[in-house]
Amino acid sequence: MSSNVNGLKRFVLGEFTKPDECVEAARKLRVAGITGLDAYSPYPLHGIDEALELPRSKVPLVALCCGVIGAGGGYLMQWWMNAVNYPINVGNRPQHGFWTNIPITFECGILGAVLSIFFSSIFYFFALPRPYHPVFESERFRSASLDRFWISAETDSDENVHGLEEQFRQVGAHKIHTVVENV
Amino acid sequence: MATPSRKMLEAEPLITGHHDDGTLNKSLLQFIWDKAGPGWFALMCIGLCGTGLLTVGVTVTIAKGIGMWGNNIPVGWAFGIVNFVWWIGIGHAGTLISAVLLLFQQKWRTSINRFAEAMTLFAVMQAGLFPVIHTGRPWFAIYWLFPYPSTNHIWPQFKSPLMWDVFAVSTYFITSLLFWYLGLIPDLASLRDSSTSKRARIAYGIFALGWRGSARHWHHYKIAYLLLAGLATPLVLSVHTIVSWDFALSILPGWHTTVFPPYFVAGAVFSGFAMVVTLIVPARKYMGLKHVVTARHLEAMCKIMLLTGLIVSYGYAMEHFAAWYSGDEFESHVFYVTRAQGPYRGIYFLMLFCNVVTPHVFWFKFARTNVYLIWFAAVLINVGMWCERFVIVVTSLHQDFIPSNWAMYYPTWVDFSIFFGTWGFFGVLFLLFLKFIPAIALSEVKELRHEMHEADLPPMTELEGAKP
Repeated sequence: MSSNVNGLKRFVLGEFTKPDECVEAARKLRVAGITGLDAYSPYPLHGIDEALELPRSKVPLVALCCGVIGAGGGYLMQWWMNAVNYPINVGNRPQHGFWTNIPITFECGILGAVLSIFFSSIFYFFALPRPYHPVFESERFRSASLDRFWISAETDSDENVHGLEEQFRQVGAHKIHTVVENV
Repeated sequence: MATPSRKMLEAEPLITGHHDDGTLNKSLLQFIWDKAGPGWFALMCIGLCGTGLLTVGVTVTIAKGIGMWGNNIPVGWAFGIVNFVWWIGIGHAGTLISAVLLLFQQKWRTSINRFAEAMTLFAVMQAGLFPVIHTGRPWFAIYWLFPYPSTNHIWPQFKSPLMWDVFAVSTYFITSLLFWYLGLIPDLASLRDSSTSKRARIAYGIFALGWRGSARHWHHYKIAYLLLAGLATPLVLSVHTIVSWDFALSILPGWHTTVFPPYFVAGAVFSGFAMVVTLIVPARKYMGLKHVVTARHLEAMCKIMLLTGLIVSYGYAMEHFAAWYSGDEFESHVFYVTRAQGPYRGIYFLMLFCNVVTPHVFWFKFARTNVYLIWFAAVLINVGMWCERFVIVVTSLHQDFIPSNWAMYYPTWVDFSIFFGTWGFFGVLFLLFLKFIPAIALSEVKELRHEMHEADLPPMTELEGAKP
């Protein structure tokens, strides 16, 4: 598996059978100062965010901003279209009807927030679609979406691989695979 | 009374039998990897026949014009809007199960949310067809409905509830679709990784977008999913509220009531749960899902049908009370003469029987635990809710203020073709869903099993409460 091509990323992968073991191992590895750690699981692991010290998610902030933009845009659209650009007189009611603008403003706010949550998550926060990822080099890694739990550590050079594998073994990984990015 | 023992207090577990992640994967994905059986193909044939009927109905309507439908002044709205409201109401249970019950931490939703969300999507698709075809020339409808800069230099009129409806329903469809797909991504990855053929691996791989279950992704995923649920909750309330405003903001007796929004929302949830039950009772049997959709799930759904059925009954009572108490003779005429004694009284009494009487069987434990009875009651509720929309729309329109303006409405074969056709189309979409996509949210069920295991007891007794 190991190659001498430099500049390519190597991933040391360790498999765990129990979710709690995986979280505990991730914590130990992070405390031991290993960087480029990630964990993989078929469902969200409880406590992994703290174990890997992940920063707070920015998704709510994005949703708030886009929701406000959506609602504001929806309101302005109705005002500009029905009161400015093409005034429509319906039974001499005010052309700029604040109350009748509320439902569409609300819907536009929701739409803005929903679209931003979905698309920012997929394209920005998950950086998907990404059909190829070096971890998929290991055929056994397919269990990560089924019934096994994995931890990976990323490194640039072969020299670190040995040490990482040893540390993975110490924290209780059942299977250890090292994969190299395939360009 | 004897002190209740621990065992008596515990509810039936949400996942029955002994399962680990591996056996859950196997049992929940087996239906997809197996070859489709004759039953699936037979149902698919029926569905395709229905879709053919829909195509005929739509083609005739577009080729010959909207006069092929039975509605004409004074009954300008009939099957088109009745079926629209019926289908969209059915859709609401999906959002309620996936979003509202998620926010309330009702763990039993986990096994049925995917199923119900798919039902929502497909029902909203059917619903959307009706107003679009009803415009007569759907290719012109776009400039009345959506604000795009057309060469006519005019804009839609946003003071109309019909415009609000366009925005509400399109937002609802988009939100339901994205929420559904986000929930689906981890399961598509499971399908990709458990596939044995290269073709399946590539196909599911494309739709899984390369999901690898990374903790860094789950971290954002959890909050994104929760936020979408939080947004879908007020959205679903707004959608049926706005649908009810299509009626309530007019001055027609029988439509012009303030009770409409809550009563429409409750009715929507009522009919939606009835549809979920109608579909899931056979599906759990034939797809081998009884260990995750247990008797407890069915019982919980029965209780929600009972609750929403009571709200609907209250709505009926309030309408009749307000008609009498207001002293408005047109209102009284609609509620006490047109509906109860008029030519459509059969549908009115069928509605009362199905929606007011039927749900009361769910007070009894034996009714909530007998699948045949549950299924039968759910079908009756579906029928009753369709009758309700017919009663609201047609009886109010066919006799309004001036007797010289009164006329009867009779649906034509085209009306029926399109209506039954949408059942077929819905069925086709649903069968494809059952065959190619996990009908149970696999990753969520595995998480639930893990939580149950950690807690070391049958989980989450908040729904059942402590029953001595």
